[in-house]
Amino acid sequence: MSSNPSFDILSVLVALPAVGALAVALVPRSRSELHKVVALLFSVAAGAVTVYLLVAFETGDPGYQFEVDHTWIGDFGISWHLGIDGISLFLVVLTALLFPIAMLGADPHHDQKPYYVWLLLLEAGCLGVFMALDLFLFFVFFEIVLVPMYFLIGGWGYGNRIYAALKFFLFTMLGSALMLVGIVSLAFLHRDHLDDRRDADIAAQVDDVESELADLSNQAQSDPESITSADQDRFDELSRELDRLSAQRGETSKLDFDLVHIAEARTVVDDSSSANPMDWSAARWIFLAFALAFAVKVPLFPVHTWLPDAHTEAPTAGSVILAGVLLKMGTYGLLRFGLYLFPDAATFFAPTLVTLGVIGIVYGAIVATMQKDLKRLVAYSSVAHLGFIVLGTFAITTQGLQGGIVQNINHGLSTGALFLLVGMIVERRHTREISALRGLQKVAPIFAVVFTVVMMSSIGLPGLNGFVGEFLVLIGSFVTRRWWTVVAATGVILAALYLLWAYQRVFHGEPDEENRSFGEMTWREGLVMAPLLGLIVFLGVYPKPMLERMEPSVDRLIAHVEDNSDFREPTVAREGPREVAEGEEGDE
Amino acid sequence: MPDEALVWLIPALPLAGFLVLLLAGRRFGEPAAGWLATATCAGSFVATVIVYLGLLGEPEDERHFVQILFEWLPVGGLTVDLGFLADPLSITMALFITGVGTLIHLYSIGYMHGDPGFARYFVYLNLFVFSMLMLVLGNNLLVTFLGWEGVGACSYWLISFWFTDEANASAGKKAFVTNRIGDWGFMIAMFLAFATVGSINYSDLFASAASGQLAAVTATGIGLLLFLGACGKSAQLPLYLWLPDAMAGPTPVSALIHAATMVTAGVFLMTRVNPLLAAGYEWVPDVIAWVGVITALFAATIAIAQNDIKKVLAYSTISQLGYMFLAVGVGAYVAAIFHMVTHAFFKALLFLGSGSVIHGMDGEQDMRRMGGLFKLMKITAWTFIVGWLAIAGIPPFAGFWSKDDILLGAYNLGGAEGRALWAIGLVTALLTAFYMSRQVFMVFFGEPRWHQPVEEAAETTAEGAEAEEAAITPRAHAAEAVHPHESPWLMTLPLVVLAVLSVVGGAVNLSVWGEDSTFLERWLQPVVGANEVEITVTTETKVTLALIAVAVALVGIAVASTIYLARRLRPVEPKVLAHGWYYDELVTSFVGGPGRESFEGVAWFDNNVVDGAVNGVAGGVRRTGRVLRLAQSGFVRAYALGMTVGVVIVLAYFLTRLTF
Amino acid sequence: MSAALLMLVSPGQPLPEDPTPITMPGIDWWALGPMLALVGGALVLMLLSTFFRSRLFTGAYALVTVASAGTAIGLAVPLWRRVQDAGRGPYSTLDGAVGVDGFSVFATVVIASGVILAALLFDGYLRRERLEGIDAYALLLLSASGGVVMAQANDLIVLFLGLEVLSIAAYVLAALHLRRITSQEAGLKYLILGGFASAFLLYGIALTYGGTGTTNLATIMGFFNSSVLENRGLVLAGMALMLVGLGFKVAAVPFHFWTPDVYQGAPSPMVAWMASGVKVAGFAGLLRVFVVGFQAYEVDWQPLVFGLAVATLLVGSVLAIVQTNVKRMLAYSSIAHAGYVLVGVQAASDEGIRAALFYLATYTFMVAGSFGIVTLVGRRGDGRHDLDDYRGLSRERPVLALLFTVFLLAQAGVPLTSGFFAKFYVITAAVEAGSTMLAVVAMLATVIAAYLYLRIVVSMYMADGDDEEVAPAARRSSISIPVGAGLALAACFVVTVGLGVWPGAITEVTRDAVPQIVALG
Repeated sequence: MSSNPSFDILSVLVALPAVGALAVALVPRSRSELHKVVALLFSVAAGAVTVYLLVAFETGDPGYQFEVDHTWIGDFGISWHLGIDGISLFLVVLTALLFPIAMLGADPHHDQKPYYVWLLLLEAGCLGVFMALDLFLFFVFFEIVLVPMYFLIGGWGYGNRIYAALKFFLFTMLGSALMLVGIVSLAFLHRDHLDDRRDADIAAQVDDVESELADLSNQAQSDPESITSADQDRFDELSRELDRLSAQRGETSKLDFDLVHIAEARTVVDDSSSANPMDWSAARWIFLAFALAFAVKVPLFPVHTWLPDAHTEAPTAGSVILAGVLLKMGTYGLLRFGLYLFPDAATFFAPTLVTLGVIGIVYGAIVATMQKDLKRLVAYSSVAHLGFIVLGTFAITTQGLQGGIVQNINHGLSTGALFLLVGMIVERRHTREISALRGLQKVAPIFAVVFTVVMMSSIGLPGLNGFVGEFLVLIGSFVTRRWWTVVAATGVILAALYLLWAYQRVFHGEPDEENRSFGEMTWREGLVMAPLLGLIVFLGVYPKPMLERMEPSVDRLIAHVEDNSDFREPTVAREGPREVAEGEEGDE
Repeated sequence: MPDEALVWLIPALPLAGFLVLLLAGRRFGEPAAGWLATATCAGSFVATVIVYLGLLGEPEDERHFVQILFEWLPVGGLTVDLGFLADPLSITMALFITGVGTLIHLYSIGYMHGDPGFARYFVYLNLFVFSMLMLVLGNNLLVTFLGWEGVGACSYWLISFWFTDEANASAGKKAFVTNRIGDWGFMIAMFLAFATVGSINYSDLFASAASGQLAAVTATGIGLLLFLGACGKSAQLPLYLWLPDAMAGPTPVSALIHAATMVTAGVFLMTRVNPLLAAGYEWVPDVIAWVGVITALFAATIAIAQNDIKKVLAYSTISQLGYMFLAVGVGAYVAAIFHMVTHAFFKALLFLGSGSVIHGMDGEQDMRRMGGLFKLMKITAWTFIVGWLAIAGIPPFAGFWSKDDILLGAYNLGGAEGRALWAIGLVTALLTAFYMSRQVFMVFFGEPRWHQPVEEAAETTAEGAEAEEAAITPRAHAAEAVHPHESPWLMTLPLVVLAVLSVVGGAVNLSVWGEDSTFLERWLQPVVGANEVEITVTTETKVTLALIAVAVALVGIAVASTIYLARRLRPVEPKVLAHGWYYDELVTSFVGGPGRESFEGVAWFDNNVVDGAVNGVAGGVRRTGRVLRLAQSGFVRAYALGMTVGVVIVLAYFLTRLTF
Repeated sequence: MSAALLMLVSPGQPLPEDPTPITMPGIDWWALGPMLALVGGALVLMLLSTFFRSRLFTGAYALVTVASAGTAIGLAVPLWRRVQDAGRGPYSTLDGAVGVDGFSVFATVVIASGVILAALLFDGYLRRERLEGIDAYALLLLSASGGVVMAQANDLIVLFLGLEVLSIAAYVLAALHLRRITSQEAGLKYLILGGFASAFLLYGIALTYGGTGTTNLATIMGFFNSSVLENRGLVLAGMALMLVGLGFKVAAVPFHFWTPDVYQGAPSPMVAWMASGVKVAGFAGLLRVFVVGFQAYEVDWQPLVFGLAVATLLVGSVLAIVQTNVKRMLAYSSIAHAGYVLVGVQAASDEGIRAALFYLATYTFMVAGSFGIVTLVGRRGDGRHDLDDYRGLSRERPVLALLFTVFLLAQAGVPLTSGFFAKFYVITAAVEAGSTMLAVVAMLATVIAAYLYLRIVVSMYMADGDDEEVAPAARRSSISIPVGAGLALAACFVVTVGLGVWPGAITEVTRDAVPQIVALG
C-alpha cells in the first residue's frame, strides 16, 4: 500500500531539525553569527526532504506512503509509526516551508543560540505531529511542541509575554490532558473488543470440536469394532485441539496504540442512540476528550482566548509558526483522529462542532474589526478562518473536507505572510497600534503592494489561494449544512470589512512625522516574501496539483465514515451533475 | 482552427499588459506605460472583432463556442474549468468593453498626465479590463465570479487611487464592502446551484432548467440571489450607495468602470441566466422590473438637485441601469443589452466630457462655479451636447432607440402593471431630460461663474442647495485664478469617436422599422430568444409611444431651459433631493451608531466574559489555594489536630463498611 | 502455598498457637546482605569518627557512604537473579519475617541509589555549611537500612521496626543543621508528628493481630483466604490505622501537614533523601501490606485510597501554586506526586504496582536532582530559596538552569522525560482498573501543578530577561558546583531523559518486581 523507499525517509525528516538543534547547541555562544546559518542549513535540508516527498508521492494512492513502523515500547504496543497520505502531505510541506522562512524573516533581539535551538525542536515536533500514525506517538509530539513555543513566546516575546506564554501552555495542556486519558481508554476499548471477538470464535470452534468428539465417543460406545486407529488418532488430535483452544480462551492480549489498527478494526462503535449524556457510549466520551484537545488548539469559539494573547506577544517567527502550523494541529487532529477514529460519535457531534465553527467565523471577524492592535486583529482573523475549516470538516463532503485541508495550507501561507509583514512594521515603528500608523503606502509603495496581495488572499479574492479553500468549504458544506453555510458566508463580507478598514487606517492617508521615515521593503524581506507570494498566486490559479493528491485520501476517509456510521454523503457532492430527465425534484 | 479559438487572447492581452506594468511599470514611466496599456487593450479589441466575425460566419444555432483552458477546481462531483464561452452575448459585451476601454485608455494618457501614480493607474486599468473580460467570457458561474470580484477589487483600488485623501480611501472601502454584500448572494446562488444541479456550468444549469428538472423554488432562489449580486454590482436599490461616492476616483475610471462596463455586469448576468429566471416563479421578473424602475425614478429625482458635475452623471447612471433592469424584468433582454451598449457610448462620452471640463477647470467639479464654457471648450461642448441629446432620448440619437424599446417592452407587458411600469419609465425619461439639460446649461451656457466663491455662485444659480456641498471636491478652493482651456487631442479624440457612436449607435437595432432592421435582436436570438418577450402591440401603438416619449423629453428640456437658461423660474432643488432622500445618511448613521456599538459589544464580551471566565478559573484555583493554606499554620498541635481529623474520617469510613 | 497455610490456621479456631517448638530460625545471610551492607557502612563511619576528629575527611565519609550503598546494590544483583530464577523464585527467611522477592530487591536498589545521590549532595553541602559531616552519613545509611527492612518486611512487626529505624534517623537528619533554627524546628515537628503517626501504625498492627491472630503477612493472607469473619471490625480498624501510619510517611493528605515545614526547614540534601528514599520505603510498605496482604479486603480499602489520592493530588498541586518559596513549592509538589503513586496503589493490580514502582524509581531521580539544584542555589546558609533567588539563573549558570528545567518539566509530565511515562503508566493502570475518573482528576492536577513548575522556569529564564544585570555580582559568584553534586545532577539528568526516551529499560524490570508473599523459605 505504501511506496517504501530504501530507508526511513520520514524518520530522517523528523531527525534533521532535532539534530540541527543539537548542532546549534554545540556551536559556542561566541560564534553567534554561525547559529543562524547552521539552523537554516538544517531546516532547509528538511525542506528539501519534503520537496522530495512531494515529488515521490504517488498521486491516486489513498493510503499511507513512506510508512515506517518500529516498535518503541513493546509491552504497551506503542510504536514509532510514521506515514504520509494526501491529507497530511501538504501540511508537512507547509511546515517545512514556513520554518526557514520564519527564521529568515525575523531575527531575535538577544540570545541567538537558544532561540534557534527552540525553533528547530519546534519544527521536529510539528513535523512529527503531522506524520505520526500511533496515538501515543502523536500525543508525545502534540505535547512536546508546547515547550519550545512556550520558551519562544516567553523568552523573545513582547511586553506581556510571560502571561501569554503561561496562558498558552496551560490552556492547551488542559485541553490535551484529558486526551491522554481518552487515548488510554481507547486502547483498552479496542483490546477488549478484539478479545471478546476472539473468544467468541474460539467458543464456536470449541463447539465444533466437542460435537465431533461427542460423535466419536458415541460411535465408540455403540459399536467399538468400528473404531479404527485413524479415529483414535483423530480423537487424540481433537482433544489436544480442545486443550489448545481453551488455553487461548479468555487471555488478555497486549494493548495497541496504532491509529490505523484501531480505526480499521471498527472496535470503536458508538452503540448509544440516546442524546442523554448519562447513557452515552464510551466512544462519545472519548471523542469529546479528543475534540476538546483539538478545539483548544484550533481554536474553536469558547476556548479561543489564549490565541490573541499568544499571537500578539509572540516574536514574529513565533506568530508565523503559531498561526501557520500549530493551529493546524487542531484541525488536522479533528480530521485524522476525530472523523477517522470515531465516525459515529463524530457525526453525532458534527452539528455542535459545525455550529461552533460558524460562530467562530462570524464572531472572530466581528471582534477582529474592533481591534486596535494590528497583530491582535490578524490573530482574531485566524479564529474566523479556522472556523471555515471546522465547518468544512464536519460537513463531511468531498468538497468540504478538501476545502478544509486547502484552507489549512492557504491560511498558513497568507496569515503567515501577514504576520511577517506586521512583524516588519513593528520592527520599523516599534508599535502595533493601528492608530499610530498612517499613510505607509505613500512612503513604502512596494511594501503596500505586497501587503495588499496578502490581504486580498486573506479576504478571499478569486484567483488567489484564500478563495479556493473558502469556496470549496462553503460549497461543500452547503450540500449537507445549508443554513450554517448561509451564515458562514457572511464571514466573507466581514473579512473584507476588517481587513480593508485596517489597511485604510495603516496605509492610506497622509503619513505623519513618525511614519514619514518608514523604510521601504528591503531586498532580504522581499526574498522572504517571494515564495509565499508565488504560492499565494499559484495555488489560487492552479490548485489542481494539490487537490488531485488529496482527493483519494479524502474519498477514502468519507467512505470509512459511511461504512462505520449511518451518515451518507449526498450523491451530488460525489457524482456532480445529475443526468437530465426523470424529473425527481432537486430541492429539499 | 476556427477564428473563435482566439477567444483566450481577448483576456490574455490585458493580463499580459498588467503583468508587465506591474513588474516594470515604473521603468516604462510616462507616457510609455500608458501607451503599452492602450496597445494591449486595442489588441484585445482586434481579437474580439476576429472572434466576432468568426461567430458571424457560423450558422445561427452554432454561434456558441466553448474553450477550456484547464481544470480549475476539480473536486469530487464539482468540476470547475477555467473556460470561456464565446457566444453572441459575451462577444457583444467584449466588443464594447474593449472598444470603449481602448478609447478610455487613450483618454487617460492625457488625463493622468503628470500624476505621480501614472504607471500604477494603468496597472489597475489593464487588470480591470482583464477581469471584466473574464466576467463576460466565463463559461460557468465561478469564472464569472472571478471577474466579478476582480472588477470589484480594481474599482476599489481605482476609487481610492488618490489614497492620501481619507475620503477617497473610505469611498473605495465602501464600494468593495457594499459589493461584497451582493457577492454573498452570488455565492449562495452558486452553492444552491451545485447542491441541486451538481454543477455551476451555465450549460448544465440551463439544461436542467430546460428539462424542468430544476424545481421552480430552486430556480427562484438562484435567480433572486444572483439578482442580489446584480443589485450590488449595478448599484440598484438598496445597494446603490457606493456608486455616488465612487466618483472620488479619476474621471476616466468613472467613465469606464462606473458608467460603461462594470456597473452593467449585473444586467449582463441577469441576461446570461435568463433560462433560470424563466424557470422560476412567474413573479421573479416582476421583482426585477419593479426594483429597476423604482431605482430609475429614485435616482433621477436625486440627480436634479446635484451640483457636482460627476454626481449628476453618477445618479443618472444608476437611473439608466434601472431602465436596463426594467427591460430584463419585462423580458425585453435585447432592449436591455441594446440600451447597455448605447448607454456605454453616451455615458462614457458624458463622463469623459465632464472629465475634460474638470481638467480644463483645474479640478473644479462644482457646476455652480462653471458656466459659459461653450466658447472656451468647443469640442468638449459639442460632444457633450451630443451625449446630452442621446441620453435625453431625442431621435435620431442612439439613446432614443434603446430607451424607446425598453418603454415599449414595459407597455407591451399589458395590464395595469405594464401601464404603471411604462408611466414611471416615462416620468423618469422626463426627469432625465430635465437634469441633463440643467447640467448642460449650468456648465456650458450662462455667464462664467468660476471667479466667484461658491456662495455667490450658488446665489446666482440655485438657492436651497448649501455651500457646504462645494466641499465635495478637495481641490475646490485650491485654484483661485482658473483659466478654462480645451483639452489635448488625446482627450478630445475619444470624445469625438464616442460622439459619433452616440449618434449612429442606435442603428444596430431599429425595431420600430420592422424585422429586417433589428440586427441586434437576430444576433442575440440564440442566447435570449427562448425567453425574449413577444412584442404584440401594433406598429401604430409603437409609433405613438415613441412620439409620446420624444414629446416628454422635449418638455423636460424646455422646462430646464426656462429655469437655467432663460431664468424665468426659480430653480426647485429641495434639500431632501440634494441629500438623496437622506438614505445614505440613514445607513451611515446606523452603521456608525448601533452597528458599531453592537460590534464593540461583542468585542467587550470576548474580552470580559469569555476571557474573563478563563482568568476567573485560574484565579479561582489560586484563591482556593490561599484558603487551604490557612490550615498550614505552622503549629504542631494544629497539624496533630488535622491528622486526628483525618484518622476520624478514615475510621468513620471503615465503620460504614461494617455490616452488623 | 495456601495449602501450607491451611495447616497453620484451621477455620473457626480464634487464636491458633504456633505448633512448631521454638528453635533458632534459619537465616539466609544473602537475603540480608544489602541491609547489612548499609548498616555496616554506618558502623564504619562511626568508628572513623572516633579516630579522626578533623573535618578533613568529609570527602572520605561520602566515599564510604557511596561505597556501602554501592555494595548494597551489588549484593542485590545476585539476589535478583535468584528470585527471578524460575527454579527457586521468591522466598522468605528469618522464620518468614523477611521476604525476598523481585519487589523488595527492586525497592532496595532504588533506596540505595537514593542514598548515593543524597550522599553526593551532602558532600559539598557539609563543606559549604561547615558542618560536622560524619553523623549525617551514618544516619543516612541507617535510615536507608530501615527503608530496606520495610521493603523486605514480611511481618508487620518487622515493618514497624524498619519504619522506626528509617524515621528516627530521618528526624535527626532533619535537625542536622545546627546553626539554622528552622532546621531544629523541622526536626522537632517531624519527630513529634512522626511519633504520633508511628503510634497509629502500631495500634493498627495490634488490632490486626487481634483480628487475625498473627502479624505475619503470609499467615494473615491465608487466614483471610481460609476463613470468614462474622465481625470484621477489628481488622477494618487495624487497616485504617495502618493506612494512617503509612499515609503519614508518604505524605498523603490529610496526613501531609508536616511535609512543607519539614522540607523547608531541613537541610536540602536531606530533603532530597526524604522525598526519594523515605517515600519509596513508605510506599513499599503500603503496597506490600495493602495490595498484597489485605488483597481480600480490596473492596473495603480501595474507595478510601481513591479518596486519599484525589485529596492528595488536588491539595498538593493547588497549594503548591500559591507558594513563593521554592523548597515549599517542591514540598507540595512532592505531596501531589505521592497522589499519583496512590493512584497506582488504588488500582490494586499488578499493573498498578508496576506503575507505582516505575513512578517511584523515576521520581527518585527527578526530585533528587531538583533538590540538588535547590541545595546549590541555596548558597551558604542554605537560605536562598525564594522564587526571586532564581531570577536570571539562566544567565548566571545556564547549565544549572537547563538541568532544573528538565527536572521540573519531568515532574510536570512533559513527554520525552521519565515523568511523562510515569504518569502515563499510572493513568493506564487506573483506567484498566476501571477508575477512569481518578485518571481524569490526576490529569487535571497535572495541569494545575504545571503552573508551579512553569513559574520557576519563568523566574529562571524570563523574569526581566532583556535587561542585562539581573543578579548582583556577589550572588553570581556565590554559586559553586562541587564535584559530588555535579555527579549526582548528571546522573539524575541521564536517568530522567534516558527513561523518557527509552522507558522499556525499567518497565521490563518492574514487570518482574511484583511483590509475592511467601510463608517459609
